[in-house]
Amino acid sequence: MRFMVIVKASRDTEAGVMPSEQMLNEMGKYNEELVKAGVMKGGDGLQPSSKGARVKFSGKKRTVVDGPFAETKELIAGFWLWETKSLAEAIEWAKRCPNPTGEESELEIRQIFEIEDFGEAVTPEIQQRQDRLRAQIERGR
Amino acid sequence: MRFIIIVRANRDSEAGAAPAEELVAAMTAYHEQLARAGVLLDANALQPSSQGFRIRWHDGRRTLVEGPFAQVRELVAGYTVIQVKSRAEGVEWAKRFPAPFGEDQDGEIEVRPLSITRGASK
Repeated sequence: MRFMVIVKASRDTEAGVMPSEQMLNEMGKYNEELVKAGVMKGGDGLQPSSKGARVKFSGKKRTVVDGPFAETKELIAGFWLWETKSLAEAIEWAKRCPNPTGEESELEIRQIFEIEDFGEAVTPEIQQRQDRLRAQIERGR
Repeated sequence: MRFIIIVRANRDSEAGAAPAEELVAAMTAYHEQLARAGVLLDANALQPSSQGFRIRWHDGRRTLVEGPFAQVRELVAGYTVIQVKSRAEGVEWAKRFPAPFGEDQDGEIEVRPLSITRGASK
């Protein structure tokens, strides 16, 4: 099973405050354990929303709104991709995560769809094209 | 520069409704364009938040909270990671993203630059 593990933003992440050395050490150790266990498939930090934009879709219209965005708790500061054998294993790993922002923090763990999960919306032709895309993404890692 | 394009959830995606065949076809075609242009790094769709959970740090304690989560518009339904030369190019690709829940429904995506150093496993 694959999971996206989302680190919610805080005032500090949105202000571009760099994590403390202690935090970097703790996170570094935790990341090493994830890699050693074969759980870690990817991960990244996001720059503050002030560097980003939103695109709103309404009918044929596309409206671009530049950041920053106000609702800090809705925003994402970083994420990992994990692969585990079970939901229980993902929960165990999530519980061991160091507090990611050092203040009030939240992690959200969400299971990733595999193309098979979409059932009849995926024709055999789309399935093949999706498999090719997935293979191309894996080669690029 | 690397960007993550985040698709925000809506009621249908949170209800676990299967996407329409045309939407899956449009998403596939768009991601093939990204791949042909050499900018596609990753893309995934997420199961509804009812299948997920949160860990909260509050008052020095951590708590596990099971989904589903109520604030649908705050939730993520999927994402695409691209590598482009500039922010303008990132926004250009984002504008060409298929309407995330079909052309007849309002939607919102968020485009955010990733950290300058490559991620932990890359």
